[in-house]
Amino acid sequence: MEYTYQYSWIIPFIPVIIPMLIGVGLLLFPKATKNLRRMWAFPSVLLLSIVMIFSANPPIQQINNSYIYQYVWSWTINNDFSLEFTYLIDPLTSIMSILITTVGIMVLIYSDNYMSHDQGYLRFFAYMSFFNTSMLGLVTSSNLIQIYIFWELVGVCSYLLIGFWFTRPIAANACQKAFVTNRVGDFGLLLGILGLYWITGSFEFQDLFEIFNNLIYNNEVNFLFVTLCALLLFSGAIAKSAQFPLQVWLPDAMEGPTPISALIHAATMVAAGIFLVARLLPLFIVIPYIMNIIALIGIITLLLGATLALAQKDIKRSLAYSTMSQLGYMMLALGIGSYRAALFHLITHAYSKALLFLGSGSIIHSMEAIVGYSPDKSQNMVLMGGLTKHVPITKTAFFLGILSLCGIPPLACFWSKDEILNDSWLYSPIFAIIAFFTAGLTAFYMFRIYLLTFEGYLNVHFQNYSGKTNNSFYSISLWGKDIEGKKRIQKRFRLLSLLTMNNNNERISFLLKKTYPIDINVRKMRRPFITITHFGIKNTFLYPHESDTTMLFPMLVLGIFTLFVGAIGIPFNQQGMDLDILSKLLTPVIIHQNSNNSVDWYEFVTNASFSLSIAYLGIFIASFLYKPFYSSLQNLNFRNSFVKSVPNKMIWEKIINVIYDWSYNRGYIDAFYEISLTNGIRGLAQLTYFFDRRVIDGITNGVGITSFFVGEGIKYIGGGRISSYLLLYLSYVLIFLFIFIFQFIS
Amino acid sequence: MVVVLPIFAGSLIFFLPHRGNKVIRGYTIFICALELLLITYAFYYHFQLDDRLMQLTEDYKWINFFDFYWRLGIDGLSIGPILLTGFITTLATLAARPVTRDSRLFHFLMLAMYSGQIGSFSSRDLLLFFIMWELELIPVYLLLSVWGGKKRLYSATKFILYTAGSSVFFLMGVLGIGLYGSNEPTLNFETSANQSYPVALEIIFYIGFLIAFAVKSPIIPLHTWLPDTHGEAHYSTCMLLAGILLKMGAYGLVRINMELLPRAHSLFAPWLIIVGTIQIIYAASASPGQRNLKKRIAYSSISHMGFIIIGIGSISDMGLNGAILQIISHGFIGAALFFLAGTSFDRIRLVYLDEMGGMAIPVPKIFTTFSILSMASLALPGMSGFVAELIVFLGLITSQKFFLITKILITFVMAIGMILTPIYSLSMLRQMFYGYKFFNAPNSYFFDSGPRELFVSISILLPVIGIGIYPDFVFSLSVDKVEDIISIYFYR
Repeated sequence: MEYTYQYSWIIPFIPVIIPMLIGVGLLLFPKATKNLRRMWAFPSVLLLSIVMIFSANPPIQQINNSYIYQYVWSWTINNDFSLEFTYLIDPLTSIMSILITTVGIMVLIYSDNYMSHDQGYLRFFAYMSFFNTSMLGLVTSSNLIQIYIFWELVGVCSYLLIGFWFTRPIAANACQKAFVTNRVGDFGLLLGILGLYWITGSFEFQDLFEIFNNLIYNNEVNFLFVTLCALLLFSGAIAKSAQFPLQVWLPDAMEGPTPISALIHAATMVAAGIFLVARLLPLFIVIPYIMNIIALIGIITLLLGATLALAQKDIKRSLAYSTMSQLGYMMLALGIGSYRAALFHLITHAYSKALLFLGSGSIIHSMEAIVGYSPDKSQNMVLMGGLTKHVPITKTAFFLGILSLCGIPPLACFWSKDEILNDSWLYSPIFAIIAFFTAGLTAFYMFRIYLLTFEGYLNVHFQNYSGKTNNSFYSISLWGKDIEGKKRIQKRFRLLSLLTMNNNNERISFLLKKTYPIDINVRKMRRPFITITHFGIKNTFLYPHESDTTMLFPMLVLGIFTLFVGAIGIPFNQQGMDLDILSKLLTPVIIHQNSNNSVDWYEFVTNASFSLSIAYLGIFIASFLYKPFYSSLQNLNFRNSFVKSVPNKMIWEKIINVIYDWSYNRGYIDAFYEISLTNGIRGLAQLTYFFDRRVIDGITNGVGITSFFVGEGIKYIGGGRISSYLLLYLSYVLIFLFIFIFQFIS
Repeated sequence: MVVVLPIFAGSLIFFLPHRGNKVIRGYTIFICALELLLITYAFYYHFQLDDRLMQLTEDYKWINFFDFYWRLGIDGLSIGPILLTGFITTLATLAARPVTRDSRLFHFLMLAMYSGQIGSFSSRDLLLFFIMWELELIPVYLLLSVWGGKKRLYSATKFILYTAGSSVFFLMGVLGIGLYGSNEPTLNFETSANQSYPVALEIIFYIGFLIAFAVKSPIIPLHTWLPDTHGEAHYSTCMLLAGILLKMGAYGLVRINMELLPRAHSLFAPWLIIVGTIQIIYAASASPGQRNLKKRIAYSSISHMGFIIIGIGSISDMGLNGAILQIISHGFIGAALFFLAGTSFDRIRLVYLDEMGGMAIPVPKIFTTFSILSMASLALPGMSGFVAELIVFLGLITSQKFFLITKILITFVMAIGMILTPIYSLSMLRQMFYGYKFFNAPNSYFFDSGPRELFVSISILLPVIGIGIYPDFVFSLSVDKVEDIISIYFYR
């Protein structure tokens, strides 16, 4: 076992082999590499599984001893300064790495099928493996510089993967937005790191915490400065975890392929911010202001995320906002000092959300067969509905995820969320009320997603009867033909995929520059005058299909995780052992032990029933609003009568409208940023450029021009004509003569 | 010795039989590679890293009349730039293969520039340094004015006026230092390093040298020649300009201003830092306003030079090390970016960014390398730029010279540059490659990069990543020398 420890630092770097090989292969032997494309998926899964086994090993032994610390590599520059790469495994790390590897493996298996018709299949796997490496590097790093390095690398992976379908302008914008927003956070992180280095003279966590606590204890540092540094450090976490002021990138990040959204933008990378705060909690905890700020940011984010998720049409966007809200819960938990609850929620949420995203990916995959490849349509929840019949297994898995996120008892998120809610109640009643309210909202929007997607009838076909002649299938081929030109287009829907599965086309083309006439139909979709009997008449309709086994398998595994992962945090009261597995793991780390660690079952049940009732309330309202969607005629009448009968419900309607507008327009925050920041920077750039051109360059050119004129003048004067010289000479002689004469006279 | 080899070999080009461009090209590349091998060989076997003095010296009396020696030598400071020069010039000649017009002269000029650059990096004599400095101006001027773009005459004139104007100050400084004190002119670096001057005189010299180097490296009010020049020049010239010429200014700043005039330098250092900070922000915010691709890269390299100036200005071990590392790393990155911009220009024949788009599909390899290099230029960890910038930051923070508040402010403002950099470089990437565009033009010239271009870009990428992962390699060259230089400031 000693032997394994010695070389365990290699573990995070095992998956890096794949991107290196693929990169070299794609650059040098593109044809051969592309021919072997499916073979690349296997080793990446295999290597990641190896990593998983190895990273699952330490915690088993670690329940007793505390941590491993290992020196790997150094960048010694001179005597004053040395930067060492070290490898640190403590319970936090091992929890995170198990999480990353398990979700990662599932997503890799899943994406083998999901991306199989994509031209960028290899690129995708290279990026994924690279991401896994850097994420594992991030969690095992033991000093701040190392954290920063992997932090940036993770950000770059996210950038590359969001912009994976780079032919789409939306994706191009989204990935740049994500990177720049994250860079703002990194700016704070770097400054914070530098500031802390300045204060303590160390990057290593252990030394850092020790020195820092001593300094605080002896009151030797400028308190304001320390707070500023901590705040700057925290801003890195804000950006990465999409917390309140910097949350704008996360929903746009959904432009990436869905497995990416599952792995990076739901389960792992966005949790890196939580991880950072958890890692630095010994540092933050001595500064109470920072803890308050963390809690405040958390609560703002969780409320904001939940409200923004209310009216999104895009299934992935609404899931993204839900992620944001859940991350807010974790931040809140960290801010109020319940480290364990935050991590617990991190784990449970990661599995549930990964499950949800994979499920939505499966749905999108099946919808693409009908509406064609366009995120505006295949991810549009308005077009879905009634998918229960067509994709039953996906539906089951998805439903599990939904229930888990809503916080329904046997499922994972219930345990963790309940813990956070309890702790927040102890911290501050206002926060607790907001948190409880948001739990209700969560249930509401999650069920909204579920009901819109799976209940009722498939809405896609409705559009065929709304007056336009082209049906969806036809529109796909139109789309293909118009822009196709010389290039072959990889059609991504299932029926034709077999025909086009040849590898002679070397370009990805998801061409979305066209606006389809269908888009207009989409908006008019919800017209109630369609009757369902029409379905029997036309038999050319396509129905969504259930996805392949390779896609279903990961979902099922994740579903099982979602079912049982809560168990690690459930307090088992047996044999006098009061601690559950998770707290046992985390005991060495927890500094600020919560007072009510002993489980009071009565309190637990009351709290749980309260939060449960709120969740059920949310579910009820959601089903009230969205359930009758398929029988929209009735619904309309019902709603109309409802509105008419109670006149002052108009105000209610208005309020709902306001909320919907707010939510649909993403709280106007994006627009605000767009106007203020982007245009500001553009203006600044124009101004600087203008200044550069006109003033600085103007001076130079001015000097040039004046010298030119001076030269011309001199040339004119020194023309070399004897007569002019004579004239000048004579005139001067005359002047002198005059002066002489005048002087003589006077 | 190695310095004269390229120019002599280059003049032989004119005697080569006229058998088409191929011979000339092959010959030039052969000479460059030979030179690079010679340099590497010499350094590998005859250079001791732990020896702090000049090594591999040559010392001939050239002109008896005023005691002018042909003194060459290499120490830890100059070995990095010399290797960089050899590397980049070889790649630039390789990149210049598409040049067919008057290739004889072109390649001769390349080789002449090679000589001039190596000469100025390795000279140990002020006047020799000056002569070499001037020697490489002429090839640049000609390269610019013959093989440039549309406005080439304007930018070439601007370039020559700027640099020649600054050379006047340089010459004044050289003569002033040389003639001061004794009856015989002393132009040797070692003797003049030990000399001390009255403070006022030192400041005057310092200003003179500073102006010369400020034009070269560009420091901001004197930078406007650079975007024009880079915008117009052929890309192999751009590689040399961005990769090596700019570094000569920074090198001179260390070599002459820091080593010879320490007291004036410690007076001027805070101003240098302030100017460098302004430069980072200023150039980074001017860059997104550019429509011309090459000009945008040019502004980005101005912005990166700001880090070097700050590193030099923070009189600390780490800052100076960072500056030297940044010299080398930006030498690679800047050259590679210009190379890729040039090659992609060869393909789509569009200069302005807003006309481009959707190039990723036809040229995936260029896209890949370009995106890796723009990541490197925005200081992605794992690449050399990050290490250099981080160490400059640390150098500034650990520097004992400044007050707390100023340090905080300057670090803060520098770090804003970190946000601006991805904005311009990523939007450049996005405007060039992302999106989709159907090229109606006959696609005859639309092929992905061939093995030659791929070789050039990969051979630049490898050191960039290598330095990023193991920067000690570069530091081991320069650490001792840097300690020497810094020790002047603390033991005086």
